[in-house]
Amino acid sequence: MSVRRATPAARIGLPVAVAALLLFTLFPVYWMISTALDPKAVTRGSDVLPSGLSFEHFTYVFEKGNFGTYLLNSALVGFGTILAAGVLSLFAAIAVARFKFRFRTSVLIMVLIVQMVPLEALVIPLFIQMRDYDMLNSLLGLTIVYVALSLPFAIWTLRGFVQTVPKEVEEAAYIDGASWFRMFRSVLLPLVAPGLVATSIFAFITAWNEFVFAYTFMKGSDKYTAAVGIYQFFGENSTAWGPVMASSTLVTVPVMIFFVIVHRKLGSGLAAGAVKG
Amino acid sequence: MKRRVIAAGIAMTLGLTATACGSDDGSDSGDKATDGKGKTLTVWIMEGTNPDARPFFKEAEKAFQKKTGAKIHVEYQQWATAQKKFTTAIEGGEDQVPDVAEVGTTWVPQFAETGALVDVTDDVKQSGLNDDLVEGLKDAGTLDGKQYGMPWYAGVRSIVYRKDVFEKHKLKAPTTWKELQSAAKTLKDKEPGMIPFPVAGGAEMFATPFIWGAGGELATESGGKWKSGINSPEAVKGIEFYTGLATKDKVSPAKVNTWTEKEVGDAWGKGEVAMSVNGNWTPKAIVEANPDLKGKLAAVPIPGQTGGMSKSFLGGSYLSTFNTDKKDLAWEFVKMLTTGDFAAKWADETNYFPGQNSELKKIEAKKDPLVEPFAKQMLEAGATVPKTKAYGEIQASKVIPGMVQSILTGKSSVQEAADKAAKDMDAIFAKDK
Amino acid sequence: MKDTLVGGGPEEDTTARRRPAAPRPEHEAALRKKKLVGLTRPWLLLAPSLLVLAGLLLWPLIQVGKLSMQDYAVKFGGGVGTYTGFDHYTDLLTSELLWQTVLPNTAFFAIACVGLTVALGTLVALLLNRLGPTWRLICSIAILAAWAMPAVTGTYVWIWLFQPQDGMVSQIAGSMGLIDPETTNWFTERGPFYAIATLNVVHHGFPFVAITVLAGLMTIPKELYEAGELDGANAWQRFWKITVPTIKPVFLVVTILSTIWDFKVFTQIYLMPGGDGANEEVYNLGVFSYIQAFAKNDYGTGAASAVLLTLLLLAITIVYIRTLFRQGEEDL
Repeated sequence: MSVRRATPAARIGLPVAVAALLLFTLFPVYWMISTALDPKAVTRGSDVLPSGLSFEHFTYVFEKGNFGTYLLNSALVGFGTILAAGVLSLFAAIAVARFKFRFRTSVLIMVLIVQMVPLEALVIPLFIQMRDYDMLNSLLGLTIVYVALSLPFAIWTLRGFVQTVPKEVEEAAYIDGASWFRMFRSVLLPLVAPGLVATSIFAFITAWNEFVFAYTFMKGSDKYTAAVGIYQFFGENSTAWGPVMASSTLVTVPVMIFFVIVHRKLGSGLAAGAVKG
Repeated sequence: MKRRVIAAGIAMTLGLTATACGSDDGSDSGDKATDGKGKTLTVWIMEGTNPDARPFFKEAEKAFQKKTGAKIHVEYQQWATAQKKFTTAIEGGEDQVPDVAEVGTTWVPQFAETGALVDVTDDVKQSGLNDDLVEGLKDAGTLDGKQYGMPWYAGVRSIVYRKDVFEKHKLKAPTTWKELQSAAKTLKDKEPGMIPFPVAGGAEMFATPFIWGAGGELATESGGKWKSGINSPEAVKGIEFYTGLATKDKVSPAKVNTWTEKEVGDAWGKGEVAMSVNGNWTPKAIVEANPDLKGKLAAVPIPGQTGGMSKSFLGGSYLSTFNTDKKDLAWEFVKMLTTGDFAAKWADETNYFPGQNSELKKIEAKKDPLVEPFAKQMLEAGATVPKTKAYGEIQASKVIPGMVQSILTGKSSVQEAADKAAKDMDAIFAKDK
Repeated sequence: MKDTLVGGGPEEDTTARRRPAAPRPEHEAALRKKKLVGLTRPWLLLAPSLLVLAGLLLWPLIQVGKLSMQDYAVKFGGGVGTYTGFDHYTDLLTSELLWQTVLPNTAFFAIACVGLTVALGTLVALLLNRLGPTWRLICSIAILAAWAMPAVTGTYVWIWLFQPQDGMVSQIAGSMGLIDPETTNWFTERGPFYAIATLNVVHHGFPFVAITVLAGLMTIPKELYEAGELDGANAWQRFWKITVPTIKPVFLVVTILSTIWDFKVFTQIYLMPGGDGANEEVYNLGVFSYIQAFAKNDYGTGAASAVLLTLLLLAITIVYIRTLFRQGEEDL
């Protein structure tokens, strides 16, 4: 940021740091994408460059792998999760950040406990539970599970954000005659927006990448999500690396697009200019 | 527990209470079975056995619809993850399980015990199919005299080698362990870029032929109790020879220590392997992955220590019906797929062997050099793993791969590793009584 | 640097001035109402979340607890359990494998991963915060890609890179004479195995920390830093005296959650060569619990180890919270 003086060290250090960051983060991603495009993916050894470029694995993934449907399912589940998790966690975060009540700490810890069990151990009990709720084989049921999985993080994070909003900012809005809702919309919401963005990215990725529940809860493959779709290319005797990497790429890219869409919000909290309390 | 290729004969030795199995549903399996109008059968099939099973099942559905009026809905499952799906579905009950499913022979005892599978012993007899079934395979799905499905296909491992490379260096296909060893050593000298004979640490069924070939047993039964035999002097000798190929003769580099059959297959596709234990389903897949190898592969049964053959594991898959309200219709579908044209076509497309003697004979008669040695191995030197449910658990917890790997990495001596494996196996036998 | 600059949590109350000093009698009814609202509103706001969590996760979790005290057999339409008391726990806690292999692996691996994930994530967040909008977007997208890449794919890519003899890293190390590619297999030794797994987990996990901390950084008013700079605080001091205290809740969240996740890593270990149980030396609790339950059909022991892990994590979490908030200036 412009506030700081650029020391010579920073002038060299910054680009070096950026380059190192990009190299570390993108190299495996590059490997995934280049293998997806490599027509001879199976025999690719340690060659840095693919043996050629072709979209045949992508075509295959869509035509044989039914990936269109899977991506659509993933998108439905993903957006449902973001929406529900966002609303529910914001309510809960306001409760724990703005009110003092008995058992508050216990509630906060309880919220975390449910994250602590390995998911694999939950598969059978949760399956039975969902059957009893009659929510197996349903995208809605899966969405609710993911909402539950993203709530602990969302509540804890948003609690932090709500807390950092000085109370007097809220009070000032009331004094100006605003209703609670108005205050919420024009004061609180913009200020916790970065937190909401962070939690929705988290919720989205949770829903987008989860495999075990998405696989076991759906009886019909027309309800599978894209994360499950990847696994169909792991055979018993061989793995079709091209389609595996192509489908993984298809799972990764929408998250990046989603981020590009929401990233502006990440900075808008400050842009709202309401921070000066 | 992705390994379907398991016991050709896992039979339950103890009277396990297979509750819902003994019910008398023979009474209502009359004519209405063939009337399936407006009904749809859900069928779970394992992915990857057939390079593309979709056209096959489209055709099967057409034929079945013509016959019964019922529709077929096929869902493909993955070996690596399917067990969880089956387990949860069985817990979930009738609405969650499929009507028909492909069940690996190791899974049969486990699923049957839950009461989810239909006992079809009488149906098999009534249909006159009983005598034609390949004996070892039939055993695999028969527990306490009750048969839980129809054998669908089977496979066996022998030795596959590069004919061109062998000819170039004037090598013969090995007929004894010594010849195998010296051929591998020659290959190491003459073909430095290739793996002469992979000793894959993650591939259980690569190691077992040498245990059996040396006269050892994985486990033995006496008085209804199983006891591991993997640390007997004979078994240890076999393990010593097999692992010695890597540790002493160095014909298998360190990278292979953690390989499973999948990685060996990939290496074949890259043209890196000169000779290895391989399944009868692999040659075609290798040539598909690497067309340059067409005509360059050959097969031979796994040699015995001083001649003859070492036994090799014979495994396969069942088509089983589940206890749903459509089980009679489901049985019709199973019958259609496991007999006659459809059975032959499936075997042909997948390069596995059918589960019926009559179909197997037809394949033998073709005299395909890449099929015949396997057929010989299957009929004359096929072996089964201990016929108990506990052995499935031993396999799933990777006792033998663990043993082989700890020898290959030099962490334990052959005897130490075998003793530990025997202890682990006995613990599981004891737990399951 | 003066304490007033950063002092006081966000809840420190300076609003008294703006409020009427004391309630007058006619306001008593309103006050009572307000009290009631203060009592019920938080629970009303919490209700939907708690309902979802209790119905979907807490109840199955209790079932796992019940399962851990049973010998359980899967049955068609619903399994049957036989009560065994604490047998599974006694067996577990007296097992050599648990104390010598499983727990040390789990704990050291998790500590390394949490430390590296949080440190790297924070550094990256600070870096992103200093970049101009374009580069910030580019770098953010890059780290998002690392996060969004499915764990199974990421794991296979790392396996490829470290594949003995053929993998890129092995070839580079071989050509530099560091290893003999013919005889080196990194996956069979505990140390290298977990080093690769750590790289994998950190690569997949730090973006979460970076994005969350960045979001936190953006809520810190610039004025605080300006004032800090006027006071002559250097970057290091500014970070510890301004950044850390202001967004302490954010750090708390990312540390606790990273700890929870890294203690129960499963996929990234299970898929590695030998990680599926063939190499007992590299068991961690997640894999151990899975193998007990799904490979050995011993669901009771599997559940018991899951409960053990939960208790361990609960203890760690409480210690974290206690340590971070011991000053009492802000009680959660």
